[in-house]
Amino acid sequence: MITPKSGLKGTTRRAALKTLAGAAAGASLPLWARYTHAQTAAPIKVGFQVHRTGIGAAYGRWYDRTTQAAVKLINEGGGINGRMVEIVAEDDGTDPKRGAEVVEKFANQHGCDIGFGTLFSHVVIGSAPRAGELKLPYFVVSEGHHVASGKLNRYTLQPGITDVKSQVQAMAPYVAQNLGRKVTMVFPDFAFGHDHRDFFTAAIEAQGGEVLEHIAIPPAETSFTKYFPKIPRDTEVLYHVMVGPAVLTFVKELGEFFGGQGPALFGFIDSLEAVAIDSPGLEFLENSYFWEGMCRHRQPDESADETFYREAVGVDDRGASVSDARDVSTYAHMFGCWETLHVVKAGMEASGYAGPQDRAALIEAVEAMTDMPAGRDHPQGAKRFNGKTHQVFGHQYISQVQGGQLVRVHTTSIEDTLYPDEVDYTTQAF
Amino acid sequence: MRVIALSGICLALMAGTLWAHASEQGFVLLLPTDVYIAAGGVTVALTVVLLAVLPGGLAEALFRPAPVPWMRPRVRHAASVLAALLLGWLVWRGLAGTRDPLVNPLPLVIWVVFWIGLVSAQGLWGDLWRGINPWTGPAAIMRRITGWRAPLRYPRRAGHWSGVLGLLGFAGFLLADPAPADPGRLAMAVGLYWCAMLVGLLAFGPAWLLRAEAVTVLMRAYARMGIAGRAGGRLALGLPGWQVLAAPKAGAGLAVFILVMLGSGSFDGLNETFWWLGVLGLNPLEFPGRSAVVLPNLLGLMAANAALVAAFAACLWLGERIAGGQASLRALFCFYAPTILPIALAYHIAHYLTAFLVDGQYVLAALSNALGLGHVHVTTGFLNTPGPVRLIWLGQAGVVVAGHVIAILLAHALAMRTGRGARRAVLGQAPLAAFMIAYTVFGLWLLAAPRGA
Repeated sequence: MITPKSGLKGTTRRAALKTLAGAAAGASLPLWARYTHAQTAAPIKVGFQVHRTGIGAAYGRWYDRTTQAAVKLINEGGGINGRMVEIVAEDDGTDPKRGAEVVEKFANQHGCDIGFGTLFSHVVIGSAPRAGELKLPYFVVSEGHHVASGKLNRYTLQPGITDVKSQVQAMAPYVAQNLGRKVTMVFPDFAFGHDHRDFFTAAIEAQGGEVLEHIAIPPAETSFTKYFPKIPRDTEVLYHVMVGPAVLTFVKELGEFFGGQGPALFGFIDSLEAVAIDSPGLEFLENSYFWEGMCRHRQPDESADETFYREAVGVDDRGASVSDARDVSTYAHMFGCWETLHVVKAGMEASGYAGPQDRAALIEAVEAMTDMPAGRDHPQGAKRFNGKTHQVFGHQYISQVQGGQLVRVHTTSIEDTLYPDEVDYTTQAF
Repeated sequence: MRVIALSGICLALMAGTLWAHASEQGFVLLLPTDVYIAAGGVTVALTVVLLAVLPGGLAEALFRPAPVPWMRPRVRHAASVLAALLLGWLVWRGLAGTRDPLVNPLPLVIWVVFWIGLVSAQGLWGDLWRGINPWTGPAAIMRRITGWRAPLRYPRRAGHWSGVLGLLGFAGFLLADPAPADPGRLAMAVGLYWCAMLVGLLAFGPAWLLRAEAVTVLMRAYARMGIAGRAGGRLALGLPGWQVLAAPKAGAGLAVFILVMLGSGSFDGLNETFWWLGVLGLNPLEFPGRSAVVLPNLLGLMAANAALVAAFAACLWLGERIAGGQASLRALFCFYAPTILPIALAYHIAHYLTAFLVDGQYVLAALSNALGLGHVHVTTGFLNTPGPVRLIWLGQAGVVVAGHVIAILLAHALAMRTGRGARRAVLGQAPLAAFMIAYTVFGLWLLAAPRGA
């Protein structure tokens, strides 16, 4: 289990107090004066590693929108330490080699204070070593377990989005108690699917359930009917995590196979991120369950902070763009950009960050963070950061499709998502 | 590891920037594309059958242009100089402007406005490039000011072969470079190419542009597909392809150039498919990025073009043997190669249609931003909705089928000109017709196949 820290470290505490005093002084100034001060100082440059082209482009588009909205909000509030935030966007082509080049440009060419925003795991894994060598704080928004697994380095942090291991494991209690204990898993036969297989199998067994059958689908497969007879008859829950262009075909064929009479279906919204859940052909998803990182469809009890976030990013009650109701966002993931930038802001303020010489202090300040209450800066919900593993933990949501609407039926506790530390980055030298 | 595949359906739905033009794939896979593909193949086959039974001069008559009155604007080099100035400004923005390739005007203009838009417009309408070629105006001004005369003669034997090399280089950059949209990288490539071609033009005179400068050669070739052209010194309009019949015979270099246009375009589609990624031993759901496939894609580009040239030549050779003719393969190749132009154009338009619909919005957004007209929301919503996806796919397929039908008609009209009579013309064309039917099916399959890169 993670061990929440009791407080800030020595140097960081002093810096934090100094900043708090500064912030208090700043707050007493009229708004225009804070603005004037902010605009005279050089901006804080955030190198935004964005998937503009390549297979991550759809995510990149919404990561960009969320990032711009968060920066606008931060700047309207006076920036960070009285300085405006400037985004320096570089396309990494969703390509690890280019990712490393982009990180290098941030550090050496554009004079960025930090690198930020990477989503796809292979790009994170390709870029993080370079960020470590260049001593550039690198805030990723990737969901990958690679940060908490100890694979990366002290300069790489994931404080704004939870990782796949915690998400998968947190699903097991609800599945076992409400949907059934006899599970069959269908997953693509490569690392992504294997992670789900391993994490969920262990988690459901810990809940007294069992996986009756693991059905691994070759990644190049585009027709699935021949795999369905392998699903044991006594299966109570079908856990599916198919991805790729054929996922709609998978859903359609599954629907035709069971004719609505089969086991309960549980999946990850990743499969249908950016796709309207009421699209023709997806009717079969009615009553099925999905993990959601953040509830795409507005819930009756949605917090004022989340509503504010929706409006700031330009997303309607169904998670689509307010400019085009068919343009569905990557709602379950993109909040990570918003929250990460607010963590950066808090870290820079706590460490009195003034320039690249304070990069180590910034990392220490973030490492010292523990509980992050829900609020405008954390609209997805409360979080708990583990400074040792550089990974944040938070609530996960399970939604059921009811009448073409994603209705939240369960919110996990943060404790459900915790697992023993696999690394202590704070022991690594800067 | 998850996030590599986290793209989920988006891997397919992502709105295609030019370099990632997978798109509405999930919904395309739900369409009965097998039926559509078969229908396309049958349409082209029926065209062949119809030509065999209908009067021999029909195809030729279809392509007869009609003259129209037209005052030629006297702009001479002004548009060219403006185009050169614009290009200079774009290169500067590429080097100094924002690093975002969907905001920086250089990649937007080069890849979306020029490569998708202008090339298509050139093929649909006619020679627009002649006026805005960014070399002719600056070279004319330099000649006028300095009295410069080209000191060298472009070697006749070199023909269009330098152009072929240039086109392969361009296709290699487009398909295999890790970051062809990176503003700085593109600025270097465009700036250096412009300078090098200007030097060539000054050294060798206009022949350089007409034979060695790949963009001009490509644009002039596509202009043959336009409905507007010159006949008897006047502007004339006709069915797409009439200028192919009216044009002088192509040399061997130009004939190969035309096949490379199609071969490279087809490989542009092929290299994204699950099939190609499977050939490379890559997981199609976990594409490692362009930098990992530079060499395979370059080799694939060369192999695709070589295979196309070989298959085309083999069909011509076989047809001539069946028809009992004695023409040399080289002569046949040069004679029939221009009939490939409508297929190349059709594939260009179909392949880039989705990318154009998305990236075109980024062009509008950049323009709107520059003119202070406010925010333009770039949407890909229409790619996430079955109705529009089906419409787009059928539109693409229709263009591909139309291109092949025109190609068949052109080949038939040319064959009739050999004066052997309809029966031998049809017989001699049989292998080429079979090739075109197969290529229709292949082209439609490319539009329907799952893509992972």
